[in-house]
Formats: sequence, C-alpha cells, structure tokens
Amino acid sequence: MPLTSNEAAQTLRDITQTERRSAKAYGYNTASPHLMLWGVIWMIGYGIDYARPQWSAVWIPLVVIGSLGSFWIGWRMRSGTARRSDWRHGATALAVVLFVSALFAVIPPRTGLQAAAFFPLLVALFYALIGIWLKAPRMLMLGAAVAALTLFGFFELPALFAIWMAVVGGGGLLLGGVWLRNV
Amino acid sequence: MDQPNAIIHQPVRLKIMAALKPLPPGELLEFVRLKTIVGATEGNLGAHIATLEEAGYLNVEKDFHAKRPRTRVALTKDGRRAFEDYVADLRSIIGADS
Repeated sequence: MPLTSNEAAQTLRDITQTERRSAKAYGYNTASPHLMLWGVIWMIGYGIDYARPQWSAVWIPLVVIGSLGSFWIGWRMRSGTARRSDWRHGATALAVVLFVSALFAVIPPRTGLQAAAFFPLLVALFYALIGIWLKAPRMLMLGAAVAALTLFGFFELPALFAIWMAVVGGGGLLLGGVWLRNV
Repeated sequence: MDQPNAIIHQPVRLKIMAALKPLPPGELLEFVRLKTIVGATEGNLGAHIATLEEAGYLNVEKDFHAKRPRTRVALTKDGRRAFEDYVADLRSIIGADS
C-alpha cells in the first residue's frame, strides 16, 4: 500500500527524534572520559597550588599531559574508518591558546587568584556553549555548575580557593564525567 | 514514488538506521547502546541488524572487550546512501501531496 503524506511526515518526525537521541547519547559518551581526565588534572593542579603555591609551574606539564591524554582518548574512542585525525581539534586548541595569550597581553590578571579563576570560567563557557548548540542539557548544567562553584570560591573563599577548586571543581568534573557516561 | 525502500521502511530497522546516521562515517556503536536508543528487545534487534547487514547497509563487528563478547555496528557507505535516499523519498511524498 502506498505511503500517505501524513505517514511520511510521521516517519520523518520519528527519524528526527531518534537521530537527536542518538547524537546526544554519542556526545555525552564522548565527553565523559575527557571530563574525568580533566577532573583529575584539576584535583592535582589545584591541590599542588594549595599545598605548594610556589610550584604553580606544575600546571604546564599537567596541561600538556591532559592535552595528550585527551587526544589519545579521542583517537581510541573512534573506531573503523572514523579513526582519522581531524585538523579542527588542533586548530581549536591553537585558537584557544592564542585567544588566552592575547587576552592576558591586553588585560593581564593582577593576582594569581584571578588567573586561577579565569580558566575554570573559560571551561564553563565551553561546556555551556556545547550544551546550547548540541541541545545537550547536561553539558549546560555542568557549565553552569562549574561557573557557579568557581565564582563562589573566588568571592567567598579566596584564601581557600585552590583547595576549593581541587575538591569541588575537580571532583565536580570527575562526577560529571561519570554522570554523562551513564546516559 | 509512493513506497520507499522496503528494507528500511520497518519501525525497528528505521530506528537502527536513524540512530547510526548522526555518527561519524565508519564509527561503530555498541549493541547495548543501540538497544537503549532503539528500545527493542535483544532478539528483535539482532534479527533486524542481520537483515540490514544482509542488505549491505550495516557493518557488524564482533570481538571481546574486557573479556566480554561485544557486538558493534556501523552504517556502510551503501547504508548511508540508502538511508539518505529513503529520507528524500519521504520528503518527495510530502511534497507531492501538498
């Protein structure tokens, strides 16, 4: 029996719904291990910031390790012919580094606390943008939570900011990763 | 065009194809995740995957991961093209009737 216009329209709606559900689950599952990795990096970095403030240079190797780890996770998670390098990953990282360098050249942070709060806020912005554009409410919630926790620590607990970010920020990312993995 | 691709035009198979379409080309999706998205029983899903594989629309890979058997599926090039044609056929039906 030939398909009617209404049946065709309903089938297209079903397709769109399934595609959205699948894309969202794929996005969450892809983001999950990265969040857990960076949660651990934050815990270590901010933990050292708190215990040994003079060792702040430890962030450089930590960021390198985190970036390499993220690249490896991304490559490992992809399968089959999808396992190809995408120049946009490197280009995105480069654009972020250039943006932050330019921003700090124009508006240098006056205190270490400002610099320490800036990066979590930037990360929160990325999560929120991903959540908005991919219609992924969990990413949006994570972004809002990271931003709120960072601002709370910055304004209410400046003396304990590093340990606050290690436990609550890093722990939050870690739990966020687990939360997304179970979608 | 009043009757689109009969292999795809079945509720479970349609959902399987739609669930795999947004993934990057060649990306494999685990059977258990596909089951959650499609909302079918294991046996039913397995039978429809076999039909789509026979048609050349799906690539099915079976291996062991963490000492457990794992089945993963991906759209083939032919499958992706067939699904796009199927969607185009649906749109043409809507367009022809309006």
